[in-house]
Amino acid sequence: MAVYKRSYKPYVGPLTALRERWLVITRFSLATAFSSRISIVLFVLCLVPPLVGALLIYVANNEVVKAAMNLQGANTKQIVSNQFYVIFLEIQSWLALFLTAWIGPATIAPDLSNNALPLFLSRPLSRAEYIAGKVLVLAGVLSAVTWVPLLFLFFLQSQLSQTPWFAAHWFVGTGIFLGSWLWIAVLALAALAVSSWVKWRIVATGATIAILMVPAGFGGVINGVMRTHWGFLLNVPYLMTLIWTDLLRVELPLQAQELPVWMAWAAMVATAALALFLLTRRIQARQVVRG
Amino acid sequence: MANIELDDLEVRLGGRVVLDGLRGSLHGKAIGLLGPNGSGKSTLINTLLGFHPATRGTARVFGHDIRRDSNAIRAVAGYMPESDAFISDMTGIRFVRYMAELAGVPPEQALERAHEAFFYVGLGEVRYRKIGTYSLGMKQMAKLAQAIAHGPKFLILDEPTNGLDPMARQRMIQLVRDVRDAGDITLLVSSHLLRDVEETCDEVLILKAGRIAGICNLAEERRSNRKFLEMETVGAIEDFASSMREMGCECACYSNGRIKIVMPENVEIKDMYAVAARRAVQIRRMNHRRDSLEDIFLNAMEGKSMTGASHGSL
Repeated sequence: MAVYKRSYKPYVGPLTALRERWLVITRFSLATAFSSRISIVLFVLCLVPPLVGALLIYVANNEVVKAAMNLQGANTKQIVSNQFYVIFLEIQSWLALFLTAWIGPATIAPDLSNNALPLFLSRPLSRAEYIAGKVLVLAGVLSAVTWVPLLFLFFLQSQLSQTPWFAAHWFVGTGIFLGSWLWIAVLALAALAVSSWVKWRIVATGATIAILMVPAGFGGVINGVMRTHWGFLLNVPYLMTLIWTDLLRVELPLQAQELPVWMAWAAMVATAALALFLLTRRIQARQVVRG
Repeated sequence: MANIELDDLEVRLGGRVVLDGLRGSLHGKAIGLLGPNGSGKSTLINTLLGFHPATRGTARVFGHDIRRDSNAIRAVAGYMPESDAFISDMTGIRFVRYMAELAGVPPEQALERAHEAFFYVGLGEVRYRKIGTYSLGMKQMAKLAQAIAHGPKFLILDEPTNGLDPMARQRMIQLVRDVRDAGDITLLVSSHLLRDVEETCDEVLILKAGRIAGICNLAEERRSNRKFLEMETVGAIEDFASSMREMGCECACYSNGRIKIVMPENVEIKDMYAVAARRAVQIRRMNHRRDSLEDIFLNAMEGKSMTGASHGSL
């Protein structure tokens, strides 16, 4: 049907595979997320710390550079330790939180605020595929600023180290991968849940940060008033630090050893599950009228 | 095979029965869905699309069961919802392309089809504007564009003329007719405007309080083209009607002395006057009329049984 003819003709061309169609949601959402300059700037800023980390690893393993910088006497090899990766994991995770808080609200809210969901779900697309398409946007972006650059640092150190570093520190690589994915899952689902319930972007951005920070403060109050440590279960940053230090085999300060690690894992999985539950409650083609 | 088959379909929402044991087969190329507010029109559409699960019974679209083959139904469906449904920050063309790609059209063809659909619905000039800036009429047309861009075989239009001025309404009706006549496509048009349905559909399903009040084949009805006399009378209307029936007429009596009569070729008006005089019935008013969809609808609402053209006429 040519535009000048202005008559309706059915489409008779090829169709894409059913199982790939949910990726269309990811592609369009990703393009929408990065249509804002702020998103691009934030994304680039997130890659600065790994760049600094790469520079540090290079210096620590390069005698010529150290000589030029008069650092031969310093114990620079100790810089690139397990603790080094935990620090970078924490930095990247905080940056990932801010990036999510900016990008997350723009993923689902626009579809819901003008009731576009029935149009998505009237196509051969399930609610699970719709959610998966949206999760993949955040998972992709957050991977690019967490485990991907950190594993790059890990392999860079393995490559540059003059001692057999990889074999002795393989758990750092797996820890970075597992710990990052746990953080990505919690962040992505929480941000999408917020995006599905709050339609104003600025409010949703604040809410994404608040739902991780406010319970932490509340947990602190519980700890102080009740003289207990169960309040840490509401402190997501604390729980993540606990998990990362365990995965990367770093000694924790004594006051941070009050919760078993499995409990931290359970709390994080429960947080992700709660976010997923709230999200699926909203992703419906029609609101069910009660009564 | 019927285009839509309803097999004891029941849908409950929030514990309330919204569709109550619907049974029937719809064979029309353009099926109208009529009924007062809350009769279950939109729920039926949502159920056919798989948005609401059937609590009892089932329905089939082109033979695909809504319980088992919901994806197969959606794969051939185009849907224009009643309420606003768009992504306000997207340009019209990008939105329609997005929807076409989700329906399975490859990216390049989807872009081409989106352009074509926009020109087809008359929005070619504004296709690069954000949908949020469109007027209500433009949004209706954009909804139609996204529903037809992928060339569906089953097009569902829920109140397509909602909020349109007379000119835009006429344009919408013309577009719907064009789509209907263009090829291998079945339309399901839900509307509370009888005229819209009358102008676009060849079969009507009338719902009342979640039940089928009538199914009428409008195409047959138009073909039969039967005229009747509509009268307002005073007197023994039932006696008068039975006398007319003895002469071979079809009669239907209503409240307030209203009566409709279809007379065979051999009976003339003067014969009817004679019967009225004999039965002491005064004829206060008399019109030659043809059954309109409004009559059919009102009959259905009054609870008169109606499952075919012949039953639907009186």
